[in-house]
Amino acid sequence: MDDVSFQVMPGRVTGFLGPNGAGKSTTLRLLLGLERPDSGEALVLGRPYAELEAPLATVGALLEARSFHPGRSARNHLLALARASALPEARVEDVLARVGLSEVADRRAGGYSLGMGQRLGIAAALLGDPRVVVLDEPVNGLDPEGILWVRTLAKALAAEGRAVLISSHLMNEMALTADHLLVIGRGRLLADCSTAEFIRRHTDPATYAATPEVARPALLEEAFLRLTSDSVQYTAV
Amino acid sequence: MSTSTVTAPRFADLLRGERTKLTSLRSTWWCLAALTVLGLGFNALVPALISGGWNTMDPASRERFRSDALGLVLQPGAEWAQIAACVLGALLFASEFSTGTIRSTVLATPLRTPVLAAKAAVFAAVLFTTGVLIAIPSLLLGSELVSAHASLDLASWTTQRALLGFGVYLALTGVLALGVGALVRHTAGAVATILALQFVVPAAFQFLPGTVGRHLAQALPAAANVMLGSGRDADSVYSPLQGLLILVVWAGVAYAAAHLSLKKRNV
Repeated sequence: MDDVSFQVMPGRVTGFLGPNGAGKSTTLRLLLGLERPDSGEALVLGRPYAELEAPLATVGALLEARSFHPGRSARNHLLALARASALPEARVEDVLARVGLSEVADRRAGGYSLGMGQRLGIAAALLGDPRVVVLDEPVNGLDPEGILWVRTLAKALAAEGRAVLISSHLMNEMALTADHLLVIGRGRLLADCSTAEFIRRHTDPATYAATPEVARPALLEEAFLRLTSDSVQYTAV
Repeated sequence: MSTSTVTAPRFADLLRGERTKLTSLRSTWWCLAALTVLGLGFNALVPALISGGWNTMDPASRERFRSDALGLVLQPGAEWAQIAACVLGALLFASEFSTGTIRSTVLATPLRTPVLAAKAAVFAAVLFTTGVLIAIPSLLLGSELVSAHASLDLASWTTQRALLGFGVYLALTGVLALGVGALVRHTAGAVATILALQFVVPAAFQFLPGTVGRHLAQALPAAANVMLGSGRDADSVYSPLQGLLILVVWAGVAYAAAHLSLKKRNV
């Protein structure tokens, strides 16, 4: 990553896009202190994540890979996090209800389906009632119902006044969910603008003019591919 | 959304979080049950066998057991119970890495190293308590079992020291295993490493020649169970207090290495 700086504004969903290997997950891992930068620093709200006074109450994150013990129940996983973070224990029931896991909360998490595991990750991200929510590839492997649920949730979180950052490589999903886009390629920030603006700027003008307004979100894929065509590092022939 | 009433977590909160993690896994209860059975079982079995076979025993062995009845009653259980303490300790941290739980942990506590301190404190407290609770009935039963051939003064300071030593031995061995788990980050690898250190290396070191060899062999963490004896065992080259110091150094080095590794490496 090379001098990437961006703002994720409250009240809207910001999509974080880039080809595979562009550094989406790395950027998020650097910001959240899971990796150390080779040089320079990664700051959240002007401070390194590790220096936040109450991290979970400031930024809530779902990372791409599973982050819970298969032998522990969802309720105990969240309870341990809540206790370690000095959060009210009632928050555990709140987030379990919000992600729809209340009924199965005492089952061992190892038996959860992919979608349920994803919901548990989101519950952990929301535990501290954070101002900033980061979801790394939240719809990976989900069925259509799960995808719709994540989309609705992301919009609801933004409507509550939170800043929501979602990384994905699914263009149609992002076109439907994100109000604003950040696009990275080869470790640099290629675009930082509203979704509508991004589509207008990066599609072929003739195609853009010929497409009715309601159908324009579908052009995001074309716009993205045009912008990042020279940033793709590994191509198949 | 959170308002200004958000409280910054303190170390006591971290301790509560780690206690919840420890008690909410079945493997913890299995390991503690195994530890109790092995500890009590061997503390009863070995004195019973020796008392039973007393008449066929050579005078030198008789003299050894007479001089250190305390070690006879406590060391067998500690040697076996430590297997469970080592396995649980190694799993405790290594499983956070192998399951990905470490990411949740580090997002909640990004300074990382307080997590190691809290885990070690909770685990050591559990092992110390369990150890003392095993040692009390072991001493009561053991003094009965050996009473025909040797005397064990339950009220003496040496016995009290060995009683606490049983808990301390398990607690420090557990911290050593915890440190190994945090360094190796892989459950099977961590368990294999700590069990090799406790069982394979001492067996190999037995064959070192001369006094230097004996000193080296008994400077291993497993040999520190000398702190459970009366100090009069002719085979021991270190005193109980020196045994304690040896184990403190081992556990301290493993802890410090785990601390550095946690600070420097990505998770």
